[in-house]
Amino acid sequence: MFAYFKQINPTLNIQDQTFKTYKRMSADVTLENITVKFDEFTAVKDADITIKGGEFFSFLGPSGCGKTTLLRTISGFQEPSEGSVYIGGTDMAGIGPNKRPTALIFQNLALFPLMSVCENIAFSLEVKGVSKKERRRRADKLLELVALPGQGDKMVNELSGGQRQRVAVARALAAEPEVLLLDEPLSALDLRLRQHMRTELREIQKRAGITFIYITHDQGEALTMSDRVAVMREGFIEQVGEGTKVYDNPATAFVASFVGENNAFQGNVSEVKSRKVIVTTDYGNLEASLADDVKLSVGDKAIVFARPEAMTIVKRGNAIKNVINSRVVYQEFEGNFWHLILDGKNGAKIKMSQINDGSTHVFEERSELKVQIDPKLAVALPFGPLAAE
Amino acid sequence: MKKWFNNFFLRNGLVLSLYMLLVSFIWIIVMFVLPQIFMFDFSFRFNWTQIDPSKIGGPEDVYTLQHYKFLLFGSPNNPDPFNIVDVSVFAHTILTAVFVTFFDLLLCYPVAYYLAHVAKGGVTRLMMLSLVVPFWINELLRAFAFRILFGEEGSINNILVFLGILSQPIDFVRENVALYTGLGYAYILLMIFPIYNAVESLDRNQIEAARDLGSPWWRIHLRVVIPFAKPGITSGCTMVFMLSAGALALPQIIGGPSSLWFTQIIYQWFNTGSNWPRGSAYAVSLLVICVILVLMIMKIFKVKFGEIGR
Amino acid sequence: MSSATFLRLTISFYIFLFFAYLFGPLIVMSITAFNSAGFPRLSPWDCFSTEWFGVLVNDARMMSGFKNSLIIGIAVVFVSVPIGLAGALMLSQLSDRVRPVFYTLTISTILVPGVVLGISTLIFWDRMGAMFNTGYESFFYDGIFLTIIGQSTFISAYTMLVFISRLQRFDSVLEEAALDLGATNIQYFRKILLPFLKPAIGSAAVLAFLASFENYNTTVFTIVSESTLTTVLASKVRYGINPSISALAVIIIGLTLTAAFIHEVLKRREHARNNEQIKEKRPIKLKNYSRKNFSNPISVMVLLIFVAGLGTAWMAKGYDVNQCKIDVSREKRKRQEELTQKRLVEMQKKLEAQQSTSGSSKSLKKSAPGTDHYGSIFAPTNLEGQVESTKQKEEITETEKKQYQNIFAPTNLESQVKSED
Repeated sequence: MFAYFKQINPTLNIQDQTFKTYKRMSADVTLENITVKFDEFTAVKDADITIKGGEFFSFLGPSGCGKTTLLRTISGFQEPSEGSVYIGGTDMAGIGPNKRPTALIFQNLALFPLMSVCENIAFSLEVKGVSKKERRRRADKLLELVALPGQGDKMVNELSGGQRQRVAVARALAAEPEVLLLDEPLSALDLRLRQHMRTELREIQKRAGITFIYITHDQGEALTMSDRVAVMREGFIEQVGEGTKVYDNPATAFVASFVGENNAFQGNVSEVKSRKVIVTTDYGNLEASLADDVKLSVGDKAIVFARPEAMTIVKRGNAIKNVINSRVVYQEFEGNFWHLILDGKNGAKIKMSQINDGSTHVFEERSELKVQIDPKLAVALPFGPLAAE
Repeated sequence: MKKWFNNFFLRNGLVLSLYMLLVSFIWIIVMFVLPQIFMFDFSFRFNWTQIDPSKIGGPEDVYTLQHYKFLLFGSPNNPDPFNIVDVSVFAHTILTAVFVTFFDLLLCYPVAYYLAHVAKGGVTRLMMLSLVVPFWINELLRAFAFRILFGEEGSINNILVFLGILSQPIDFVRENVALYTGLGYAYILLMIFPIYNAVESLDRNQIEAARDLGSPWWRIHLRVVIPFAKPGITSGCTMVFMLSAGALALPQIIGGPSSLWFTQIIYQWFNTGSNWPRGSAYAVSLLVICVILVLMIMKIFKVKFGEIGR
Repeated sequence: MSSATFLRLTISFYIFLFFAYLFGPLIVMSITAFNSAGFPRLSPWDCFSTEWFGVLVNDARMMSGFKNSLIIGIAVVFVSVPIGLAGALMLSQLSDRVRPVFYTLTISTILVPGVVLGISTLIFWDRMGAMFNTGYESFFYDGIFLTIIGQSTFISAYTMLVFISRLQRFDSVLEEAALDLGATNIQYFRKILLPFLKPAIGSAAVLAFLASFENYNTTVFTIVSESTLTTVLASKVRYGINPSISALAVIIIGLTLTAAFIHEVLKRREHARNNEQIKEKRPIKLKNYSRKNFSNPISVMVLLIFVAGLGTAWMAKGYDVNQCKIDVSREKRKRQEELTQKRLVEMQKKLEAQQSTSGSSKSLKKSAPGTDHYGSIFAPTNLEGQVESTKQKEEITETEKKQYQNIFAPTNLESQVKSED
């Protein structure tokens, strides 16, 4: 199902001439050893990354992993206990949120209820003292940018969810920030709208050219929209990289299990060759590939991860490596994919996916099946906590 | 601590932070706490203004318990073992306040419940309005209205005589009935609204469920509604008690000669008696006893202070 | 009749009684304002008169007290509303451990008896004045200043409660949003928070004014040598009550009802306007509302009162207070004389009875009640003096005097008797 993430993001073809490119001075954001503590609880542990100017960067992780705290630290609402935030090369220590070149789009949007759409958008200009006429003009331009032309005089509560989203984006853009921060902005929308907004936001970012820092728990969003992704768990940044890298070459067991679906086969390393490793599991010896930056020695506890799409049904007489004998529990049809859920050891389930190309065989429940894991696509990683179901 | 201040000023900016802190400080400390402390201190002092003003601050200006002693035992010439007059008035005030509170509770609970659960939308608003309107009218005017009603030539007597129930008009004022009814009347609003608020938030389904299970209406109230509304009831009772015990206008206007109210004695010490320290001592005594009683009630019914509010 | 219906009836009856208890005294009092009798009462009803309103306005002490009440009320609004706002804002930002303490302290100002607040304020500023060694003219001892402070101490708690309840519906994220977009704290306060609080500020101001205007317990101590309307009213207990107080009550009740009515109308109009605006964006016409408004009970009541007022005014054309008073006093005199007549007859009978038993013949000759033993008691002249009040004397015309003389037969008799002697 997530195979299409591997496709390169299609280049956007901006045909509409009315949208001038909103080239801004977009800034780098550097987090230098940021730690944020609340009394006894440490929300962010030693975060250290640089986000490039003009990049669409996502922080991905489950609830409570610290991504919101990190966002608030960048925007100035939270002082880090240790470390520094640099935006555009300037240390942001002691600079309040209203003075930083950032704009934040809140999870519940936080549009001002007593103001019209135009007044909301122009608020950042109003506080700077821009004249009323000029404010109106710029607000109208922004409304066109976010595809809401002429809605300026409506009250906020008259708009739909998707429209309000776009007003929030326009309002943030009006402040002409160097960095735009988005806190799970699409989580309140329904599925169709969410998917539509993903594309919209990406387009707006390309047009405006501003650095976008996006946080979400939905890996689909993170992978489709971002240039790079940082996966977080319990305050740590586990891996930073492009979507393809994070998906194909996860750095930790958590990343492997959190991003996309993955089958985990736990065991002990029995053999290590360059780039290849053999792990003895309950399912037999499984061969998997080893990434360059992953260290495993003989005897280490390890997990072999195999994506559902990396498994094939063994036809008679084929392959001997990485074969698993199991039984079909049930079969699911999901439009573009067929999913087979197989019985694994100790009550675990194995999921296998096949593209629906018309040739898929429908299996009976309880029928026996042999499946093979592609050793080139299987990944071995040191044992670690997995993402919760 | 310092961190909190830092965060506070950071969040609110200099001007607003100063405004909030200074104003709150002035209100609570300068306008409320300090005067109480001063009054408390004052109650232990001699009445130099009457005796010898030049001695203020001098070596003879020491602390004394004489005023409190006077409250309990009367002057040194007092033949009785106790200051019968003052102490009995004190007791009478407190007991009457308790009685009035109880009466108000019984009176207002049905109305509050009716308002919260039985009345429909438009009727509710009308009732609310008609509850509030009488209380926008000056407390004193209401007291006078009672005086007119209950006086010897008052309307109630007129009606009763006219109906032949009485041959002679009863002086209700002298009999203190006027005062008790008046006190019951005065603080109805303060009893109704806390109970109303508390009862209103009770999920109607709970009552339905209880009725469904076969519970008679009185048991529903006893076991379901009242325990839920306990904070509201306690809040209402506290306010009515404190206000009744501390009432001054009503006793002065519709109180008869035999129903002296403790607050009236306090007033006398300040006014005609010219003995401010003694008045303070009496006031402090009233305050202390009231607070103790209220705290006791809250302890008994297990209600926290933070739940009292409108 | 089923038990449910019975229960419902009793409850309705109880509610009715309750509201009768609530409104009865006020209604009675309002009516007494129009009775020309010297003491407010319903019966006996002398004359319908509005003279007591005139007396009220001419009462200098009352007017001066009223003026002070207004000044203090307005000042209290300007003091207690900002304080209440500060308190509410503080409360929303304090930690969970400190907040209950703060709340308890502020609510205590309401629970503490008003007299205690008044006394403590008085003593505190008196001591302050002594410490700074100021004279008695300084503001430390000024009744108006002290009253403003004393009242604000607890009225600020009322305003604070109003603000708290309004703030609870405020999304605190809006503060962050505003700051994030570049606003300073003061700009946020002015442009976002205050507009939201505007209705609360209005209610708090009204509440503060009303609470200040009607306060007595605290005021009576802090007002020192000045007076407010409430202290003047209370002192009337000593000086004597007349229906001008009822007149005051009528005015205040009338104002209150008007205010309540206006408030209801405004609220309904705003409610309807909100609904309309969401549905369609046409400008709201006034006409659409008149029909809706006049179908509610308050409007009906006010309409009735208005009609009644008109009818009364029409009837009043052929009505003169003074004439009425003369009639009334005449009635009174008549009744008094009839009563006197009765008593005379009874006395005479008793006399005759006693005379018959004692056997004295002297008194028999004197058929009229004698002027000797029972002298002064039964002297009709004395009775005449008692009945006639000096107020009415000027209004008695010659013809009426003659009438009286006819009624007062004993006088005639007596003069006859005297002349005989």
